Amino acid sequence: MKPEELSTQTTSFDTALDAALARALPPPVPTAEFRVRLRAALARAGDHESMESRRGRLERERREGLAELENGYLQLRRRTLGTLIGGAFAAGAGVALLFPWLKATLGEHSMLALAGLGGVVGLVIGVSACLGRSVLDDPIARL
Amino acid sequence: MEIDPAAPDNDILVLLQGCELEHAFALLFERYEGKVYRLCCSMLRDATQAEDAAQESWVRVSTALASYDRRASLSTWIYAITRNRCLTAIERRRYLVSMSTADIEAEITALEVGQVDPEDLSALLRELVEFLPERYRRVLTLFYYEDRSVSEVAKMLAMPEGTVKTLLYRARAALGEQLRRRGLDDPSAWWDVQP
Repeated sequence: MKPEELSTQTTSFDTALDAALARALPPPVPTAEFRVRLRAALARAGDHESMESRRGRLERERREGLAELENGYLQLRRRTLGTLIGGAFAAGAGVALLFPWLKATLGEHSMLALAGLGGVVGLVIGVSACLGRSVLDDPIARL
Repeated sequence: MEIDPAAPDNDILVLLQGCELEHAFALLFERYEGKVYRLCCSMLRDATQAEDAAQESWVRVSTALASYDRRASLSTWIYAITRNRCLTAIERRRYLVSMSTADIEAEITALEVGQVDPEDLSALLRELVEFLPERYRRVLTLFYYEDRSVSEVAKMLAMPEGTVKTLLYRARAALGEQLRRRGLDDPSAWWDVQP
């Protein structure tokens, strides 16, 4: 032990033991292969790291794609709902304006003609929606 | 973050700030290779396992160096990584080594201190150190590995210096007691101990 760290009660036996221990316990040194193995391990860790970062990038891109798709889906739902409500109000307003003229022209058949017109318009919208839907991309394929 | 010019490993911190990771790691390795290995040796008591743990520690240091946040000094950070790797190795060893009671008894008999050549005082001392309680042995060996620096041992084992001194005192007292029991309390005999 260093002189300043020796207690005042240190005996010659303690001093001798300290010196003997210092000689009996030399600092261990790593083998020559240690650095070679370490260099290889560090290279492997570097490869592993790049794979990790690649995986992280792909996962991030996938998350971004999903978020974008979800955002688009929500926009589509809002637009559809808006179109439906707007269409219903427009149809109501149209009927309110058209009905007096129809009643004056067709008499008691005006209700039948109005229902027939509504059916034809509904059929046209339904068929065009079905045709338009079939040509949409498969959303899963975008993932 | 400002770098204190008087801080230890200031040069490495400057390199890290400039994102020169490879150069920083090379300097760090040059400075702490021996210390990390010696810490592993004192904790694991086996050269091969110590090399494995030191290697794992350096790989961890190299991958985590970019995210080193300077909350602790570099040496404290490296020693903490090394200690954790050693503790993991000790845990792993506990699971792997399953000996029967007879095997353990045979092992203890083979390690009997009495079998050491009484003329070889150096070997006797090393054997006695091996038989010390773990905490004493760890502090005592590191103390001599680190050129008798109490402060370095304290940093490496994350202990207050006072605790290191106490453990050292007790370890040496236990060794002295063992030697006296064997009638080896003549100081003149110890001056000739060779490594």
